Amino acid sequence: MSTPVRTAPPVSATAADPDAAVVALDGVGKTFANGTAALADVQLEVAPGELVSFVGPSGCGKSTVFRLIAGLADPTRGTVSVMGTSPQRARRDGSVAYVFQDPTLLPWASVRDNVALPLRLRGDGRRERAAAADRALELVGLDGHERDLPRQLSGGMRMRVSIARALVSRPRLLLMDEPFGALDEITRQALQGELLRIWRQADDMTVLFVTHNVFEAVYLSTRIAVMAPRPGRIAAALTVAEPYPREAAFRTSPQFSAAVAEVGAALHASALPAGASAPATEADRVQ
Amino acid sequence: MSSDVLASADAQARDAAPRAAEPGRSAAPRRRPTAILDAALRGVRRALPPLVVLVVVLLAWQAITRWGDVPRYLVPSPTDVASAARDNAPDLLTSLLTTTREAVTAFVVSGALGILGAIGLASSRTIERSVYPYAIVLQTIPVVATAPLIVIWFGASITSVVVIAAIMGFFPVLSSTLTGLRATDHRLTDLFALYDAGRWQTMWRLRIPAALPYVVSGLRVSSTLAVVGAIVGEYIAGIGNGEAGLGFAITQSAIRLETPYLFAAGIAASILGIAFFQLVNGLSRLLLGSWHESEMRVER
Ligand SMILES: Nc1ncnc2c1ncn2[C@@H]1O[C@H](COP(=O)(O)OP(=O)(O)O)[C@@H](O)[C@H]1O
Ligand SMILES: [Mg+2]
Repeated sequence: MSTPVRTAPPVSATAADPDAAVVALDGVGKTFANGTAALADVQLEVAPGELVSFVGPSGCGKSTVFRLIAGLADPTRGTVSVMGTSPQRARRDGSVAYVFQDPTLLPWASVRDNVALPLRLRGDGRRERAAAADRALELVGLDGHERDLPRQLSGGMRMRVSIARALVSRPRLLLMDEPFGALDEITRQALQGELLRIWRQADDMTVLFVTHNVFEAVYLSTRIAVMAPRPGRIAAALTVAEPYPREAAFRTSPQFSAAVAEVGAALHASALPAGASAPATEADRVQ
Repeated sequence: MSSDVLASADAQARDAAPRAAEPGRSAAPRRRPTAILDAALRGVRRALPPLVVLVVVLLAWQAITRWGDVPRYLVPSPTDVASAARDNAPDLLTSLLTTTREAVTAFVVSGALGILGAIGLASSRTIERSVYPYAIVLQTIPVVATAPLIVIWFGASITSVVVIAAIMGFFPVLSSTLTGLRATDHRLTDLFALYDAGRWQTMWRLRIPAALPYVVSGLRVSSTLAVVGAIVGEYIAGIGNGEAGLGFAITQSAIRLETPYLFAAGIAASILGIAFFQLVNGLSRLLLGSWHESEMRVER
C-alpha cells in the first residue's frame, strides 16, 4: 500500500521540458507599491492535467499568485509563464478562466447572458453563444434556469453559474480562488464532486484551486502547495496519491486522514518563522 | 415653494411606488377577480387618509378666510383661488404649457449632457483630472449670478429660460453618473480584463449598466431642479405677451396683488413638479426594475 502522501518528485521530473508546463513560476516576487511584500521567490511548475490546490493562512499571497498567473498583475521579480508564453498572451481566446470567491455575476443579465459573457466579449455570434452557454449550464446542472436573473438563485446555484461561465470558453487552465468558501457543507461537497467530474471529462484541463480547507484540498487535488506568509512563498508541495475517480468513501478512509494530517503538519511548520527548522520541513521544500 | 414641491412629490412617490411595481412582478400568478377587488380596496384605503386631511384643511381654510375677516389680497379662500383659476383658465393653461415645455427641454438637455459628459470624463483619467475641477467650480457659481448674463446672450426668450434651467439640472446628473461609473465592482473589472475586453466594451457592457442606479438618482434631482429652474428663469428673463410661463404669471400677479391667481399659478407649478418627479420614478422602474435593489419589491 503506497503512502497517501508522498513527497513531490523533483521539479525537473514533473515536466521534462519546461515549455510543456502549463504554469511555470520562476523566482517570482511581488512587492506592492505600498511596500507590502506579498510574494518572495516562488518556484512552481504545473504539468498539463494537474489539479493543484494552494492552502495557507489568509494573506499569504494565494490570490496574488493567481492574479499573476492570470496576467491581472505583473510580478516585481522573476518570470511567470503560462503555456510557454506570457500570461497576457496565454489568456487570449479564453484559454485561461478565473472563478472568484464570490460568483461575481452581472446582476442585470440573465443566467445565459452571464455564462455567455466571455464569448460575447470575444465577438462570437448570438446562436453560437447561446448554444455554448446552454451546454456549459447543462454541465453544472443548471439547465432550465437560462432565463433567470442571478438574484433568483441560491448561493450554490450562483456559484454554478460562475463555474459555467468559466467553462464556456473551454479553458485549458482554470483558476479557482476559494470558490466554495461561502457555501454550506452539503453544497460544497456536491460541487467538489462535480468539479472533479468536469475536470476528468475535459481532456488535459489544468485546475489551480485556492482553499483554506485542508479536507477540500486533499479530496480534490493531485498536488497540494502549502504556502507560508510574510513574505508569501511555497513552503511545501505534497502529492496526493489516491487515484480518481475518488468516491465519497475516500473522505472517511485512513489514507484521507493521514493525508490531512500531513498537510496540517506542513501548514503548522510553515507558520513558524522562516529558517526555523521544524519536523515537517523535510516533507518537502520546493527549492 | 420649491421645498413644497419636493416634500409633496416625495410623499406621493412613496405612496405610488409599491402599487405601480406590482404588475411588473415576474412570478405573480394570474390574478383572480377577488384579488383585483382586494387591490382596489387597498388602493382606496391608502388614498383615503390623505384625502380626508386635504378636505379638512380646505374646509378650515375656507372657514377662516370667510369668517375670520382676512383680506383677499393676503390670503384668498380656496373658492377665490378656484374662481381665479377658472376665470383665467386659458392664460393659466398657456403658462403651464410654456413652463412644462421649458422644463422638459431643460431636463432632456441637462440629462443628456450630464450623462455624456460623465462618460467622457470617466473614459480617461487624464481628462477627468484636468476638466472635472472646473465643472465643480462652475457649479458653485449661483444661477442668480449667471442668469442675467445668459439673458444678455440669448435675449429675453424661452431659449434663455431653458439654458438657465438646464444649467441647474446638469451638475447633479454629471456628478452622480460619474460617481457611478467610477464605482464599478473591481472583481467585475478584473473579469472583463481577463477576457481582454476593450475599453469601450467595458464601458458599454459593464460600467454604464452598473452606474444606472446613480444615473437615475441624478436624474431625480435634476427633474425637480428643471421645474424650479424654469420658473426662476422666467422670473429673470421676464418674458410676457403670449409666451408667459408660470414664473412670469407669479411675478405679475404679485405686482398687481392678484393673490388668488398667484395661488393658482403656484399650485399649478407644484403639480407640474410632482408630475415630473413621478415621470422620473417611472423611468427608474423601467430601467432598474428587473435587478436593482432600490426598485425591488420581491422576496422581502
Ligand atoms: N493591491 C494590493 N496592494 C497592497 N497590498 C496588497 C494588495 N493586494 C494584496 N495585498 C497584500 O498582499 C498580501 C497577500 O494578499 P492575498 O494574495 O490576497 O492573500 P490570500 O489570498 O492568501 O489571502 C496581503 O498581506 C495583502 O494585504
Ligand atoms: Mg485570497
